[in-house]
Amino acid sequence: MSASPGSVAEIQALIRSAAAAGTPLIPVGRRSWPGAGGWAPKEGRALDTTPLKRIRHYEPADLTITADAGIGLDELDAGLAENGQWLPIDSPGAGSGTLGAAAATGGFGPLRQRYGATRDNVLGLEVVTGDGRLLRLGGRVVKNVAGYDLVRVFVGSRGSLGVITRVSMRLFPRPEEDRTLIYRVRAERALAMATALRRGHLPVAAVVLGSGGMEGGGGRAATLAARILGGGRGAREITGRVVAALGADPDEALRDEASRRFHDRHRQWEDDARLMVRLRALPDRLDEVVAIAQPVAAAVAGEIAADARNGVVRVKTPAAPAGRDEVVAALAGARGRVEALGGSLALDDAAGELGRRVGWVGRGGGAGGIVRRIKSLFDPHGVLAPRCPE
Amino acid sequence: MIQQSLVRELRAICGSYGVLDDPDALLVYESDALTAYRHRPAAVVLPRTTRETRESVAAIARHGLPIVPRGAGTGLSGGAVALNDAIVVGTARMNRILGIDAPNRRAVLQPGVINAELSVAARRHGLYYAPDPSSQTTCTIGGNVAENSGGPHCLKYGVTSRYVTGLEVVLPDGEVIRIGGQGRDAPGYDLVGLFVGSEGCFGIATEIEVSLLPVPESVRTLLAIFDRIEDAGRAVSEIMSAGMLPAAMEIIDGATIRAVEDSVFAAGYPTDAEAALVIEFDGLEAGLKGDAERARRRCLATGAREVRTAQDEAERAALWKGRKKAFGAMGRIAPDLLVQDATVPRTALPSVLRGISRISARHDLVVANVFHAGDGNLHPNILFDRRDAEELERVERASKEIMRLCVDAGGTITGEHGVGLDKKHHMTLIYGPDELNAMWGIRRVFDPGETMNPGKVLPDETQPVAAAVPA
Ligand SMILES: Cc1cc2nc3c(=O)[nH]c(=O)nc-3n(C[C@H](O)[C@H](O)[C@H](O)COP(=O)(O)OP(=O)(O)OC[C@H]3O[C@@H](n4cnc5c(N)ncnc54)[C@H](O)[C@@H]3O)c2cc1C
Repeated sequence: MSASPGSVAEIQALIRSAAAAGTPLIPVGRRSWPGAGGWAPKEGRALDTTPLKRIRHYEPADLTITADAGIGLDELDAGLAENGQWLPIDSPGAGSGTLGAAAATGGFGPLRQRYGATRDNVLGLEVVTGDGRLLRLGGRVVKNVAGYDLVRVFVGSRGSLGVITRVSMRLFPRPEEDRTLIYRVRAERALAMATALRRGHLPVAAVVLGSGGMEGGGGRAATLAARILGGGRGAREITGRVVAALGADPDEALRDEASRRFHDRHRQWEDDARLMVRLRALPDRLDEVVAIAQPVAAAVAGEIAADARNGVVRVKTPAAPAGRDEVVAALAGARGRVEALGGSLALDDAAGELGRRVGWVGRGGGAGGIVRRIKSLFDPHGVLAPRCPE
Repeated sequence: MIQQSLVRELRAICGSYGVLDDPDALLVYESDALTAYRHRPAAVVLPRTTRETRESVAAIARHGLPIVPRGAGTGLSGGAVALNDAIVVGTARMNRILGIDAPNRRAVLQPGVINAELSVAARRHGLYYAPDPSSQTTCTIGGNVAENSGGPHCLKYGVTSRYVTGLEVVLPDGEVIRIGGQGRDAPGYDLVGLFVGSEGCFGIATEIEVSLLPVPESVRTLLAIFDRIEDAGRAVSEIMSAGMLPAAMEIIDGATIRAVEDSVFAAGYPTDAEAALVIEFDGLEAGLKGDAERARRRCLATGAREVRTAQDEAERAALWKGRKKAFGAMGRIAPDLLVQDATVPRTALPSVLRGISRISARHDLVVANVFHAGDGNLHPNILFDRRDAEELERVERASKEIMRLCVDAGGTITGEHGVGLDKKHHMTLIYGPDELNAMWGIRRVFDPGETMNPGKVLPDETQPVAAAVPA
């Protein structure tokens, strides 16, 4: 049972009547991440945002775009490509999702070092809050400090504070060249290479690592992929320096379309996950975090992938491990160890029972009072079912 | 008049040098760099640590007095002005860099650290702090966080918000919270992003974690001279739409050029020109030459009469000099200066610049434009003499018209200086009652008693009758 309002006014009306009836709503885009990492409960009526999908304002020379929340990032990208521009959102799963969901989940992917996270590039939002009010926040200019920055609190609020109906984003020139150098090496060597790249301060756009089934090979075999974006001479120069820093020629060098496809695949890697665990700590702890992730991968027969620049390590399995005691113990143990490093372990996807037993996000931030008050400010009747963990 | 018992309490917390209540000593604190607004605080407290800040805030709260956080006082919107006998809590003695974590390109600081000093300290590790307000040799990181400050190089690198990854905050009741930290990635609401730009109204940032960037290997700087400012504006928008991403693109107009050249800061810009555009590229040496050449050709094609290129660091400094000394030079030609700060879409620059010159002509005022052109962030500065009441009135009318012009062009009323006292009455140009109500609500989430920097940012008349948030 879901509602598909065809206008913002209908969304407002729907929210108001849901508030009166006391029936919870869950805003959704293309439903590629319905549980939203434990924020969205299973029960509740879905509020479909995909009927609203027009581009409202696009002046290429401004490098900004304003569009309805329901437009797919893939649809948007096609139009931007014609003008040599792009929206470098590469958070996991983002390619198949909507613009509104990208803003609502506020994630980031390996390109963050180069382009910033989604939250850094959202310029403005239009949002219907839990009491049916329409707020127009921020704007469509790239610098704006007029008033408190409410945009930031809605980006990443995962549908718990309001339904995002329109988004203004900062755009970037599409890189002239897209190259990826691929090294197939043992896992320890891949980690050492990632460290060398980090220390070298080279302007590599992204460094990702995969193990297990990701790029073939099993056991301790791993893949390191270094992505280089830029104009001709610059890209060639960086490529040369990366090869020099790593002391070896790549096993494969991908260009343009092939390079993009490789990273699209990497982004979609978790699409079939039934269990997805995300560990994160400071980038120089990557080796330790991978070591912490390994017993989890073993317990669930999963694969590991890492975003080296951002210190993110993910474990996924396409099978659904039940809340078996050893899986729970492995996850709890890993969370303890990564939190001791100052990091975190979150379940991005999991069966409800496992999520409840392990806890979706772990240690809270210590600002629970503020989190609760923000929720009751924007959703005073508790109509929007998703909840932010405190 | 401040109660002596409170002064004694604060001295017990911060030491006898940590509290100022002598009227002469308080004079320095009566305004920020926008000197049009002056109010002397009841006292100034200068804690050295989070503990001293927390205890001071709690003591002041017990006495029911309002608090105004203050960094270096370089703000340009009246944000650090103490209304209604508020007590200023200054961060001048909290000026230590607590650590630079080079492997993770991260630094942890006390809020009173001067922006430029962080980059100096980080340089040893091949790193620097990207947001570079023109006031960077004097303003504090705490002030930058509160204002979400920008700077010339934010065109390529983004503003303060992108670089703040963690905060320790003393809330108005003295409670201390930590948000973010070791990156800003933990799941949950982006409270760090919400706090950045809160203009001292949500609490006092007592510890700040920021991310650093590697120092670019090479830099190329160009200076293009134009006979028409609209052409310079067009050059900016063409360079951007051609797919180049310069680190900075800054314009100073003819009035500013002449002010600079007439001053001790003379930089050798031609005084008959109507605009000078500074363009800078940074990155690996290999890519820069091509970029600089393409930008040079674009400038010539849009009507630049000449394009100079810096060959070394000394020449680079010379090309920047006119831009960097613009404010200093203007200060010398008129007793008063109203620095405006609006952002418009880049493509609207030429038409908005024409509009500004029409407005200034109509009101018979001198307006000098200095701005972060790449971001569309304008600073039309009105030169005047406040002793002339009639002129002051024209200044106010022109200022409002300029704001309206920028908003109508799809822009906003402040790009980096904040709302403070100065722009709070312009907030209704861009926000309706629901948005302002939501902002009141979020302020009360942090500051239910409205004791932290009261009277700033939100226009008084929009204040909702009933509190939006249950306490
Ligand atoms: C010549 C000149 C050039 C300038 N150029 C630029 C520019 O290029 N870009 C730009 O963005 N700005 C610019 N500014 C404006 C100003 O320098 C910035 O806004 C700066 O960030 C203010 O820092 P400050 O330490 O002086 O803060 P203050 O002026 O002392 O305070 C500013 C605000 O921050 C609050 N505050 C200060 N410290 C804290 C804290 N620790 N916790 C909470 N709140 C706090 C205060 O209450 C106040 O509301 C310029 C100013 C001048 C005079």
